[in-house]
Amino acid sequence: MRWACLLLPHLAIDGVLRRHPSPDATLVLVTGPAHRRVLHALNDKARAAGLRAGMSLAAAQALTPHFACIEYDAEAVVRHRQLLASWAYRFSSQVSTDLSDAIGPDSIGPDAIVLEVGQSLNLFGPWPRFEARLREELTALGFRHRIVAAPNPQAARVLANAHDGLAVDDNRLDTALGNLPVECAGLDADIATALVRMGLRRLRQVFALPRETLTRRFPPTLLPHLDVLRGRQVQPLDTYRPPDKFDTRIEFDHEIESSTALLFPLRRLTADLAAFLAGRDGGVQRFVLRLEHESDACTEVPVGLLAPERAAAMLFELARGRLEQASIAAPVVGLRLVARELPSFVPVGRDLFDARPQQAVPWEQLRERLRARLGDDAATGLSLQADHRPERAWRNDAAPRKAATLAAGPRPGWLLQRPIPWRGSPPRILAGPERVETGWWDGGDVRRDYYVVESASGQRAWVYCACGEVGPYMLHGWFA
Amino acid sequence: MNAYAELHCLSAFSFQRGASSARELFARAKAMGYSALAITDECTLAGIVRAWEAARETGIALIVGSEVRLTDGLKLVLLVTNQDTYSALCHLITVARRAAPKGEYKLSREQLVDLPPGLLALWIPASTDAVADGQWLRSIFPDRCWLAIELHRGPDDAIRLRDLCRLAEHVGMPAVAAGDVHMHVRRRRALQDTLTAIRHHTTVAEAGAHLFANGERHLRTRAALSAIYPPELLAESIRIAQRCTFALESLRYTYPRELVPDDHTPTTWLRELAETGARWRWPDGVPERARALIEHELALIAELGYESYFLTVHDIVRFARSRGILCQGRGSAANSAVCFALGVTEIDPARMNMLFERFLSRERNEPPDIDIDFEHERREEVLQYVFDRYGRERAALTAVASCYRGRSAIRDVAKALGLPPDQVNALASTMDRWSADAPMPDYLRERGFDPDSAVMRRVVRLTNELIDFPRHLSQHPGGFVISEYPLHTLVPVENAAMADRTVIQWDKDDLDALGLLKVDCLALGMLTAIRKTLDTLRRSGRRDLSVATIPADDAATYEMIGRADTVGVFQIESRAQMAMLPRLKPRTFYDLVIEVAIVRPGPIQGDMVHPYLRRRKGLEPIDYPPDLKDVFERTLGVPLFQEQVMRIAMQAAGYSPGEADELRRSMAAWKRRGGLEPHRERLIDGMLARGYPQAFADKLFEQIKGFGSYGFPESHAASFALLTYASCWLKCHEPAAFACAVINSMPMGFYTPDQILQDARRHGIGVRPVDVRHSDWDCTLEFAHGDITTQPAIRLGLCLIKGFAHDVAQRIQTARDAQAFIDIADLCRRANIDRRHQDLLADADALKGLVGHRHRARWAIRGVEAQLPLFATAPSSIEPRVMLPAPSVGENLRADYALTGTTLGPHPLALLRGELTAQRCQSSAQLARVEPGRRVRMAGLVRLRQRPQTTSGVTFLTLEDEYGMVNVVIWRDLAQRQRRVLLESQLLVVDGSIEREDGVQHLIAKRLQNLSPLLRGLDSVSRDFR
Repeated sequence: MRWACLLLPHLAIDGVLRRHPSPDATLVLVTGPAHRRVLHALNDKARAAGLRAGMSLAAAQALTPHFACIEYDAEAVVRHRQLLASWAYRFSSQVSTDLSDAIGPDSIGPDAIVLEVGQSLNLFGPWPRFEARLREELTALGFRHRIVAAPNPQAARVLANAHDGLAVDDNRLDTALGNLPVECAGLDADIATALVRMGLRRLRQVFALPRETLTRRFPPTLLPHLDVLRGRQVQPLDTYRPPDKFDTRIEFDHEIESSTALLFPLRRLTADLAAFLAGRDGGVQRFVLRLEHESDACTEVPVGLLAPERAAAMLFELARGRLEQASIAAPVVGLRLVARELPSFVPVGRDLFDARPQQAVPWEQLRERLRARLGDDAATGLSLQADHRPERAWRNDAAPRKAATLAAGPRPGWLLQRPIPWRGSPPRILAGPERVETGWWDGGDVRRDYYVVESASGQRAWVYCACGEVGPYMLHGWFA
Repeated sequence: MNAYAELHCLSAFSFQRGASSARELFARAKAMGYSALAITDECTLAGIVRAWEAARETGIALIVGSEVRLTDGLKLVLLVTNQDTYSALCHLITVARRAAPKGEYKLSREQLVDLPPGLLALWIPASTDAVADGQWLRSIFPDRCWLAIELHRGPDDAIRLRDLCRLAEHVGMPAVAAGDVHMHVRRRRALQDTLTAIRHHTTVAEAGAHLFANGERHLRTRAALSAIYPPELLAESIRIAQRCTFALESLRYTYPRELVPDDHTPTTWLRELAETGARWRWPDGVPERARALIEHELALIAELGYESYFLTVHDIVRFARSRGILCQGRGSAANSAVCFALGVTEIDPARMNMLFERFLSRERNEPPDIDIDFEHERREEVLQYVFDRYGRERAALTAVASCYRGRSAIRDVAKALGLPPDQVNALASTMDRWSADAPMPDYLRERGFDPDSAVMRRVVRLTNELIDFPRHLSQHPGGFVISEYPLHTLVPVENAAMADRTVIQWDKDDLDALGLLKVDCLALGMLTAIRKTLDTLRRSGRRDLSVATIPADDAATYEMIGRADTVGVFQIESRAQMAMLPRLKPRTFYDLVIEVAIVRPGPIQGDMVHPYLRRRKGLEPIDYPPDLKDVFERTLGVPLFQEQVMRIAMQAAGYSPGEADELRRSMAAWKRRGGLEPHRERLIDGMLARGYPQAFADKLFEQIKGFGSYGFPESHAASFALLTYASCWLKCHEPAAFACAVINSMPMGFYTPDQILQDARRHGIGVRPVDVRHSDWDCTLEFAHGDITTQPAIRLGLCLIKGFAHDVAQRIQTARDAQAFIDIADLCRRANIDRRHQDLLADADALKGLVGHRHRARWAIRGVEAQLPLFATAPSSIEPRVMLPAPSVGENLRADYALTGTTLGPHPLALLRGELTAQRCQSSAQLARVEPGRRVRMAGLVRLRQRPQTTSGVTFLTLEDEYGMVNVVIWRDLAQRQRRVLLESQLLVVDGSIEREDGVQHLIAKRLQNLSPLLRGLDSVSRDFR
């Protein structure tokens, strides 16, 4: 009874429900390619409506049209598993999520966390109390669970398939395992099926067979697996390690009142961060500067980047830009840099014979500096959009992407945000009409004849009127 | 206003480009006063026959042409002026299509070099300075190439016009106005955009670069054209149009000649074959009536010049006979005395009052149409024979233009409008798969869509427009076109999706319209089953019969049919047919012909079934005008067949045979195209003029309308009825051999092997399990002690084991024939059975004779080690014996169903009977004794769910228990209230009341209950809503 298994049969749906605005709705998680959508998980209400995991969405909709579909998010499941592992880590130094996929990676099998509890009993025990605490906290976190304790993690895991609240010690292990249905024993699905199809429904029957007859008939994984369950062999597990983060603090022996004086310590911290990032071969996309005051609450200065970076100079530049913008209410006694988002980083290839003049600022750096100085929204990208409607042919875009361009006629450099009626004397038509008649699909159907015209004062303008009509004109842009 | 002819126009057959049908285009061209209209679909002539028909209707001249884009981007429109250039265009398209995968084409400049001088070209320059292209074209098409100027209100049309005119002058070719037309009217632009998005597998919102900026690519008014084009450019279009005088009707088609020996003409040779055949059919001398018919028919055939057609059909049938492939012709031309003599059909026409004029009409020079059914497993041999005999140049399959139906249309539209996949699927499920009806607001609401929202209104409108649009060309299953000269002189030929198949670009209606020879070689499973039954009977020495020698008018057979004891037979085995049989009680062959034709949507919607039944039972007087006696007598005054409608039109309303055939075609199409109204007036006026009462005329017209496209021809019904009778006779007298052959011919018919076997067992036929010691691949017959006078038992074949390979079964047979198997190691070694098949054999309980029950078999088979040949004779190593529990009855049942789809153990419901009785459920046997109107409760496996379109929402269920099947009727409101139970249940309990009439019993459901949990894991198969 040295290991406990926390089985999480509904991790995916519980993870969604704990933050869903109306957890009482009929909810399903859907996954799979467009032509074959299947239900991955569902809540109790959906199950009551006759829906089942693994059912195709079409079949489900044939049963009842009234349910909400949420895209299954495998990453969220990983996150939740990590969350629970780190939570369990508070109770034991040996925590593992290795046995989560004991049922197979593609199946809709339950998640599980195993932890060594024998050494923690002094702190949290005895076991019934320990178990109660685990249950209480899991429930508070919003995850349904089953808990079984056994002499080894694998046995705890398979017993949890059929039990909840069971705790077995060494001398009762064999009996408990023997009563276990073969399908629950964590065997490869085809081995389990083969055994059952020979009439061997419980592990007890399998234990009773001469070993050599099993060796002859089954893959070599079978006997070691049984031995591990029965504690005759030990199979080590990969244990959970808490994730890395960067968190360094510098305390000043005097109060600092100007941000310039903070630059030196800031340079150190950013250099440390850069070194740390280099050490783990990663980058940083967001970090926080925390300015500590004597009595007031800390001032937080978040620093965000468009892409992961790790060059010390650049990190410093950016942090400095943000720091100078920040309003600091009180003298600073300490500076702390916390970086949690540490994504992987692909460094820019540098040409050995880089011909750039020394003082030129690289484009990315200029962009970031502008953003830091003027605000995130002040600089935006511009991207083309393949749409015949001029007002939709380009748009502001934080992350511009390449799009197919249209072979269009002359377009003014300055397109008015909104067309306005043409005032003054009728213009002289230079070219046109160019007819634009499209956009019916989004309610923005336009039907216009565009003309390039010259105003009385000699300015070239872009105007339109309704298809086939002659005036009145609407001004839509100016040519340079 | 200036005259104008549009020379560049795409129809819907430029798939996912053209957004209007030829009909719409021609109607618009007429309304706009165009002088001519060219249909220039992209590298295809698939839509040209429809265009030709539309042209004939409107009187606007059709110019045949095609738009092509070469691999280097050069874009041309080719226009045909005469027969030669037409053939050249067909050839060019054929070459281009055959050089590319299905649906694409490939053309390079070299292929344009040797085109005949009459083929005109319009050049659509890529830019205004493509001088080199222009000069090259001028050299290839001297004096017959124009620069097409296509203005669509682009950025600066004036400049573009000027530049293009300069370009034309520079390269030295005349310019002409053209429209690059994609739709008939401007308001089709939404559909055109949608089609474009579909073609590029994207959404309209994303398709920007592929969409046209405006809707100018329609057939514009001549006023609009005059405003943008100088008059001489418009006038040039008329000059070009005047050179294009080719008319599709002038195509000359020549029948293949090689079937006639040198010293004969087709006429004398057909006569000779017919005479020989007649002597074979009537060895005691040809009866006077038949002789007269043959003479009449031969004269008509000679007059119309169709000898070669009959010779071709005869040749194919002769080939099939020589290979022992059972076949039968269908159609009124097939049911003729000549075809009977030629062996194309077994129907003695002297016995049937057929209407030979239907397909052989003096007035219309249109070929007869004969469908030949072949055994479905061997039809490929026939197809390959035809390809070999005439060569790939001269024989090809006809095409089928696959059209958008409700579900596919809404799916593509919704995708193009950018709806997410889940909603696309949900929308698709609101549509009937095959129906061509518009989406229904109620169904949309049921799925949670708001039909009044802007998006849904767009979806509905576009879906409506898209339905019936051609989508792609595919191959007809067996329609052949054969010609004396290479087919590509008549019509372009493309590659089919299947290797070794080539397909012409026209479908059967196109061929009909142009009078081309077509032979349909179709596959029919029942022919396979009958041939296999006859073969087994002959091989076993039990009987030696052929389809022709099966005793006719057998009382026992008709008695069986009258009981609706018809599981597995041809045509009259369906639920609806079985419900009709006890009412109709067929007693003669002609009754069977009626039975085959009557349970069809046509007669049902035309309200002909009940009047016929009432008159047959004497509940209603049989009345019809006495001078229509020869039309109506056989069907008691109720028109049941297409032929009767035509006869009435001729005799009572004064139609000529040709006009009557026109009526038949209108009947087939009126729902889609309308066009029955003109006939209404003519029919009714004609009848009134001939002294028939108004009421009679009105009723008849309504019946004809109800017939719609579903009217069944008597000639086909007769051929089918022949097979129906043959299969019924075999089922009645040789139930074991017949059931065995039906299973060996699967997939076919209405029932699963399990149902066929259950039925056989209920008839006292022994069925023996799959066993490696006895089973072949196919199911076989086993006679008790070799006694061939009693009914044999059926030995299930290895073919029933799901996923079992044919060659493994053959190895088992061969090894077993050499020496019986000692044990499974011996079996596995000598038959070389891989692990998968070992498991299958054990699971299927096929090793029982060698090692015992399934658990033992699985244990044993896993222990068989792959042995090296060196140790082949060494005994298997000795290992300790282990004890394994025997499988339970339920486990065996589940395994039986999972592996072989049937069980020889007790019926699943027999196992559950105790529990069901406790729940007060009665069996089907008890039900049969319950008085009508009584409340009952019954449980059964759901074998079939059906919601026929003709029954306004009624669902029919077939429930099966250990004693038989029961038909359940579920009214619409119950089906809606208990939708889930209805759809989900495998084992269903029905509370309801019994209705019984004329021996037909229905259980009218009042409440449903799902008991499927009792069956957990049972693989019982229901065939849902086919």
